[in-house]
Amino acid sequence: MSKSSSSYRLTFFQRNSQKIAQAVIITILVLITLPIIVGYVWLIVRSFSEDIVHGFIPTKLTLKNWRFLWQEMKGYPNIWQTTLNTFLLALGVMAIEIAITSMGGYVLSRYDFPGRSAMLKFILVLHAFPAISLMVAIFYVLWNIGLLDKLWGIILLKASLEIPWGSWIMKGFYDGIPWELEWAGLVDGYGRMKVWAKIMLPLVKPGMAVTAIFAFLSGWSEFIFVYTFIFSQKTWTLSRYVMGIIGDYRFADYGLLAAVGLFYVIPSIIFFFFVSKYMIKLTIGGVKG
Amino acid sequence: MPSIRVVNFSKYFGKVKAVDNVSFEVEDGEFVALLGPSGCGKTTTLLTLAGIYKPTAGEIYFGDQLVNDVPPKYRNIGMVFQNYALYPHMSVFENIAFPLRAKKLSKEEITKKVKTVAKKLMIDQLLDRKPMQISGGQQQRVALARALVKEPEILLFDEPLSNLDAKLRMLMRAEIKKLQSDLGITSVYVTHDQAEAMTMASRIAVFSMGKLVQYGTPDEIYDHPKNMFVAAFVGNPPMNFLKDFSVVSEGNSVYLQRGTSKLRLPDSRKGSLPEVVPEKVVVGVRPEDFRIERKEVDNGIPGTVYVLEPLGRDVIVNVRVENHEDEITKIFAEPGETFKPNERVYIVPNLEKVHLFDPETEETIL
Repeated sequence: MSKSSSSYRLTFFQRNSQKIAQAVIITILVLITLPIIVGYVWLIVRSFSEDIVHGFIPTKLTLKNWRFLWQEMKGYPNIWQTTLNTFLLALGVMAIEIAITSMGGYVLSRYDFPGRSAMLKFILVLHAFPAISLMVAIFYVLWNIGLLDKLWGIILLKASLEIPWGSWIMKGFYDGIPWELEWAGLVDGYGRMKVWAKIMLPLVKPGMAVTAIFAFLSGWSEFIFVYTFIFSQKTWTLSRYVMGIIGDYRFADYGLLAAVGLFYVIPSIIFFFFVSKYMIKLTIGGVKG
Repeated sequence: MPSIRVVNFSKYFGKVKAVDNVSFEVEDGEFVALLGPSGCGKTTTLLTLAGIYKPTAGEIYFGDQLVNDVPPKYRNIGMVFQNYALYPHMSVFENIAFPLRAKKLSKEEITKKVKTVAKKLMIDQLLDRKPMQISGGQQQRVALARALVKEPEILLFDEPLSNLDAKLRMLMRAEIKKLQSDLGITSVYVTHDQAEAMTMASRIAVFSMGKLVQYGTPDEIYDHPKNMFVAAFVGNPPMNFLKDFSVVSEGNSVYLQRGTSKLRLPDSRKGSLPEVVPEKVVVGVRPEDFRIERKEVDNGIPGTVYVLEPLGRDVIVNVRVENHEDEITKIFAEPGETFKPNERVYIVPNLEKVHLFDPETEETIL
């Protein structure tokens, strides 16, 4: 007995090898994440302080930087109009994308139409293709159909760029639903459209949630198209507003910049908070080819 | 209730012939099993009966009516799937009520019908649950209730019991059979389990590689298999095959001979032999059609006991045939007989019941 128990004697490092490995990993991760965390901390601290010394130490707490919320700022559009525009853009992109991808994903998943596999490959290629390179062509199209300087133009443009990839994601979720469920619906006395609406659609809700998040965030954070195709201040969105603060013809007000920046990320954070449980499902449902 | 008539039915998926020129008939109120290994075309046939697939060629009739192009929702069929296919987002009640909602029945009528069928299948205390919250056996009952609630004219089963554990399977087997005979609904039941087909169906259609090999009552299939495939597929343990026997005539008698083994075919059977017999034949013997002797006897084939498989009620004795080491025959021993491994024995087939097969075509000769 004593002989065998002696072979179980371990050194300190052997006994704690898992804990040590964990500590090392956490240290490395913290170091990598630090710059991002520091950035956000600066944003929060700066937005509530008069001035800042040594990069981090607020001199005096104030709400002055948040004045854009309750008073007209000279040279800027009304913040609430701008926020509304941003919501319209984000929700518009989301609504169009959900409506189309929930149907497109179904067809990609269930129907064997000519050119299906080519289309699936093309979507992947398209996704890798930078939309920025289409700028001139898009300008020309928007100008011709009279949607230049209109929020609608940006909504349609954003949605059309997001729909292929969204359909691909939705296809993954539809692929995860067994055919038998659909067959059962057909045998139970419904047509294909009714089966889709009553059985398939409720079952891909997580996929719709994921697509909605991506669509909302991409609309919410859109900058380059707004910057290029929107000229009137009353149609600005928040990203354009932030750009305005550090624009060419004024001194950058860093307190204001921090406050507006923080204001800008709040909806994204709230949104993320509510839907993060669906994000996890993306890896389960989304990658199933 | 209509009869079902399948005439020269074929279904191709691209170049793959899933079902190839199959014809059979299911009589009004009959219970027919489609039996075969996976990929033999039985499920494709069932889904075509349901209207989910359209035939590539051939016709399908319900009664006198050609239904080739009739979509599933107009066919008045009930179907039970292997994975039950319950709608996970609906309660048990809503699952069962789903076919009735398609018929636009009144609320009271739906509630009444769902409660009646749920009571019959003993799931009336589960109606508020979601499918994920009940056991596999209960899900099976819900699927059955959903198929029955609309009072279908035809019931289709796609391996409904294969996801259940063995004990529950035996239970449901009897229950489905009783239910079907009580209701008298024309039923087609797909399975790969020969025991299910034998116990439940009034007729069995044996499928292999997209073709219908044999269609008949369980007894016909068991006692007169059309070829080696059917002989091997039906019965548990399967039929034993002894290869390379020659058919020899000596005087008035006919013998099956291989090496020193010489089996005399009874006079009652030799008349059924065809004029031309292949040079070599395969002799097929069911496990219960062997007798085991310890000393040399007429018609005995020498071998040694390989291993014993006690089943409680009886014992399967595995005997390795002498000079044919790859032939391990499984034999039901007489109750009370005991054998030991490596014991030398003689196995004696009941020659009234042996089958002869052509090794080339695998067709039955006798």
